[in-house]
Parts: sequence; C-alpha cells; structure tokens
Amino acid sequence: MKVKNKQVEPKKVMPEITQKEIDELQNTIRVASEQIITQTIERMKKAFPNRPKELDYFDEIANLFGKRAKEIEQTKKEGKKIIGYNCIFAPIELIIAADAIPVRINSGWYDTSKLGDRVVPVEVCSIIRSTIGAKMIELSPFLEQSDILINVLTCDGMTKLNEILSGYKETWGLSNPRVKDSAQALKFWNEEIKQIKINLEKLTGNKINTKTLKSAILKTQKATKAFRRLQNVRKGNAVISGRDAMLVNQTYMWDDIDRWTEKTNLLCDELERRVENKEWFCSPDTPRIMITGTPMFWPDNWKLPSLIEEGNPKGVLVADELCSSERLLYDPVAIDEWTMDDMLTAIGERYLMACTCPCFTSNDGNEDRINWLLTKAKDNNVQGIIYYVTRGCMLYAMEYTRVKRALDNAKIPVYYLDTDYTREDAGQLKTRVEAFIEMINAQMGF
Amino acid sequence: MITVGFDIGTQSIKVVIINDNMIMARVQTFVGFDPVQALQNAVQQVLKAANIVQTDVASFTATGSSVESTLYNAAVVSMMSAIAKAGTFYFPNARTIIDVGAEEARAVKCDDRGVMVDFVVNERCAAGAGAFVEAMARALEVKIEDMGLLSLKAERASSINATCVIFGESDVVSLIHKQEPKSEIARAVYDAMADRVSSMIYRIGVNPEVVLVGGGAKDVGFVASLKRKLGVDVLIAEFPEYAGALGAALIGLAKCKVSKN
Repeated sequence: MKVKNKQVEPKKVMPEITQKEIDELQNTIRVASEQIITQTIERMKKAFPNRPKELDYFDEIANLFGKRAKEIEQTKKEGKKIIGYNCIFAPIELIIAADAIPVRINSGWYDTSKLGDRVVPVEVCSIIRSTIGAKMIELSPFLEQSDILINVLTCDGMTKLNEILSGYKETWGLSNPRVKDSAQALKFWNEEIKQIKINLEKLTGNKINTKTLKSAILKTQKATKAFRRLQNVRKGNAVISGRDAMLVNQTYMWDDIDRWTEKTNLLCDELERRVENKEWFCSPDTPRIMITGTPMFWPDNWKLPSLIEEGNPKGVLVADELCSSERLLYDPVAIDEWTMDDMLTAIGERYLMACTCPCFTSNDGNEDRINWLLTKAKDNNVQGIIYYVTRGCMLYAMEYTRVKRALDNAKIPVYYLDTDYTREDAGQLKTRVEAFIEMINAQMGF
Repeated sequence: MITVGFDIGTQSIKVVIINDNMIMARVQTFVGFDPVQALQNAVQQVLKAANIVQTDVASFTATGSSVESTLYNAAVVSMMSAIAKAGTFYFPNARTIIDVGAEEARAVKCDDRGVMVDFVVNERCAAGAGAFVEAMARALEVKIEDMGLLSLKAERASSINATCVIFGESDVVSLIHKQEPKSEIARAVYDAMADRVSSMIYRIGVNPEVVLVGGGAKDVGFVASLKRKLGVDVLIAEFPEYAGALGAALIGLAKCKVSKN
C-alpha cells in the first residue's frame, strides 16, 4: 500500500453528476439530516425525562454539520492534515503522533444510500452505498475535509469502496490478514502498520518519534479508560439509556480525543452519583438487551436501538458488540518498553489480535467474537441478544449460525434481524423487536 | 370469565370471544380501507353471536401494534405469542407452530412448558405467504379455492423459483408457454412456497409436534407440499385462520386471572 509518487489522476467511476444536481441534493439532504439529528435527540430526551446533564455536550457534537466540522475546518486552515478512515483498524495513535487529525468517515445517511445505487447494485450493504452517495454529493464534512483516506480492506464492500473513492482522493488501502494464529500474518500486518507510519510522515512532514508516539498512546489509553468506565457503570441497573451511551461512544469517531475523554469522565461522575442515589433510567425488571452485528452509524441508522427502548413492551439496551460503539476503544495499546519497535508492534497487536470483527476466521470459526459475546452477555446480565445485519453484509450474516449455536448452548435468546438503512420498514421491525422482548418476559415468568 | 381477542391481518380481521376456555363465537371480515370501522363491525357481530354485551367482556386483547389495536382499551400482544398460545391450546405437545397468512409467514418454537423460546418471520417477501398463491392462481386463470385440489392431481412437479412473487409469476408464464399441465404448475407453486417456508422453519428447528395455523392451513395443496418438505406430520388446528385472535383472547384470559389472584 505504498503511496504513489505522482498525484493520483482522477479516475471517477461515479456517474457524471452536474454541479447543480450536487448542490441541490446536498442542500436538501443536509437540511433533512439536520432535522433527523434534532428529532432523534429529542426522542432520546423524551425517553429519559431526567436525562443526565453531561449529555448536552455530546448532543452538540452529534451535529455532523456543526461545531466539530467547523473546528476541523479551522485546524485544516492552520495546516494540519486530516486523515479520514473507514474502519477501526486504522492506527489512530500513528495519526495523532504525526500531528494529524483522525476522523471516521463511514456514512449513516439513508438518502445517500439511495444515491449509491447509481454506482453499485442494491445488494451491496447500506454502509458502502451510503458512503458512495455521500461522496457523490459532497455531503459529509469529514469526508470532504480529509486529505487522504485510510480504507481498511476488511470485507468485499470496503475493498471495492477503496477503489471507488480513489477516483476522488488519495486512498491508502490497508490490508489486514484474515487469520490471527499465524506468524506470517502478524508479520505482514506489522509491515502494513510500518508503511502507514512512513506514509503519514511523508504526508504531514512530521517525523513520528518515540516521544510523539508515546504521547499519542498515552492519549488513547486515557480515552480507553474513560470508555471502559462508561461501560462498567452500565453493568448494574440501567442508569443511562442505551441510545445515549451509543451516541457518546460514537462521537469519539470525530470529536477531539482529549476533550471527548474529559467529557466522558464528567458524564461518568454524574452517572456514578446516580447509581449511589439509585436514580435509574428504567424499572430494574426491564429486559436487558444487547445488540451485535453490522455497525450502526449516526444519524439514520439509530432505528433498532430506538425500537428496543420505545417498544411495548420496552427493553433497555445495556451493551453492544458493534465496531461503531463498544468495540471502538475497548482495548488499550499494551506496551512493555517504550521503544519505537515495541510501540509499533503493540499498536499492530492491539488492532489485530484484540479485534472481534467477523472478517477473521480459523478452523474453529471466529472464536474470539463468540467468547467475547458470551463474556459480555454474562458481565452485563444480558437477557437477550438482537443480531442485527444490514442486507449485503455477508460476514455478519454468515457468522450467525455459529454464533446462534453458541448462544443457544448458553441459553441466551437471540433474534436475527435483517434490514437496511430504509426508514419505511420500522413498523415491521417494531413487531419483531416487541415479540422478542415479550418472549424474554414470558421466559422470565412476567 | 369472558375475553375477546382480535387479529387485524393484511386482508381480514378475525375476532374471537371466549368464556374461560370455551369458544363462544368467531367472526371474520375484510379489512378494506377503513380498518377502524371494519373492526367495530366485527366486534359488534361477535358480541351479538355470543349473545352478550360489551360490558360482559373482562378484557380485549389485540395482536400487532397498529393504531386500531388501541380501540376497546385493548392490551397488545405480538402475533408470535398469540399463535404460540393458540397452537399449544389445541395441541398441548406442540413445539413448532407455523403460521402462514396472506402476506406473512412465521414460525414459533415452544419449550415443554408451552413458552415461546425462539421465532422467525419471513423477511419483506411475500413468496412464502398466501399472496404468492393468489398471484399464481391469477396467472393460471384458476380460482384460488380450486388451486389446492388441482395441485393434488399432479403426477409430477414442475419447478419454479420462489424468491419473489413477481419473478415467480414470470416462471409460471414460461411454464404455461411450455404447455405444462396446469395441475403440475399448481403443485410447483405450492412446492416453491413450502420450500420458502420450510427453509425459514429450519432456522429454529423442526420439533414435533408441528402445528400449522393461519389461512395457509386451509389450503390442501400447501399442506401437502409442506408435509413433503418437512418430512413430518403437520397438525392442523380447527378454524386455523382464527389462531391469532384466539391466542390473544387466551393471553387476555390468563392475564385477567393473574391480576384477580
């Protein structure tokens, strides 16, 4: 994945679209999206009248076209490079050490997924189609601000997305191995990470040295600590709605990391006080649900968590196993010696070995994910799991049978819910989610 | 204690009134364009048939979560819970309960207490439901009620694709052009539908006794195909199309008894 020496010639595979159409669509979809962001936050507020005050900050950052986009614009003007990435395998610590700004660019807009249909078939997963559509009409501030994109080639969709986006921006396709239990795979991966370091140094003109890298690792370790603190406080009776917690997790993808860490710690202070005062989000006998599967992206892709927490009967989302939320930051970079080699190896391991993405396999299946799901379900007193798959997301869809067998053996009810970014199927999904929660209630004897 | 259950389906409304475990009356009407009015008419009819008035009813329970469900202060239960209840009411040893309606097919797995432990629903596709047979009957110019018997006359089966009603219809048209006998095409339609439904059921397992409810249970052609596909006997409940409404009434009854004690 070496950087080509000459500037990438635009080789657009997207259909020709006039500037007029871009402007019109961008304007309409942006206005609609801002409304959806406001409405979704209002719904979250309504679901929790006594909502923690510290969440106000995250509500503000949740506006994709607001404060944070302006801040990044300003930083860019001051000469810093913006590094867009579409998967949590992208080594954030190296980006920070090169004094650049990392920002995740996966797209959660339903309207732009329909535009993506002009380029790829509808069978392709919504996330890919939506990201393509967002690029077509230049909707996402973060994607537009990015100087280069790190596209991790985890699944077929991401691999071809990398090609499509390369017509617009310089892209670095970061190739990850599909197995973890092989010395060669780890060696290959470490070389990829080293190459990213070289690329970043070349792009930014900033040398990554032990001092800057150590400081970057310490920064994300602090964030991980805050992140885990939030997860720990959710293990008992629900003190925060699952949607609110998911939003906090998700804003990490574009927020300033130090500020995010500080604000998350303030939120945890407030939540821990509430635990002491026994101020719960909902009645303690509300069924405790976990979701796993395809990542869910703000703002349009919030429908499943909303259905769980607004249904009749209601459930409460107490945990998730999603790369757009609780998988983001769970694992810290573990360092033995603060030498450059050790740090790079530790970064490589943190992103590869700890990850539970279904792109990994072994003769025993993706054991890490199954074990992690069982552990998480136990730690969080989960009473049922919804396995969420967007149509076209083959890896999660195909891993379901094995996961279900493991959960059946552990007597944890699981329901497979397949959908895409469409808003129109909310009624049908509601019926299913409610039936699932009703089933858990019946099994508990309510 | 008298309770009422109603089930507002995609084509018809079913209402059942029970007195403890005895069915007093049942009524089915078309939904049409005014579901509220249709439901009110159906409830009036069922009360009249049972010879009681509304105040005699201890509780109303509806399936699904449409707006109409809130009428009569009805409690709402899911269709899955309702058919689990109705299936085990008719056949206490039922472990797999399949419901095939006009546009939805679903299956529920029950444990030995009769409690639902898993379920599966057809996903945004009518190829595994009654609407598929209707569309194919139209293409064959056969009355829907004659399709079942016609299919039983087939000596062998043709094959059509069951991934989509629209494409299924073009498969049927090409079989017509090949001059395949109507009976064999009819059987192919049911086989395709049973294929679709059974692969869905296999996801939760086929555990005897297997019970079929919903309008699909009244179609001999579909029942024959489903038995062939599953390789087990399929039990048919009495008045299978009322299973959702009956299950709702039974759940309402159980809840009333719990709150009374």
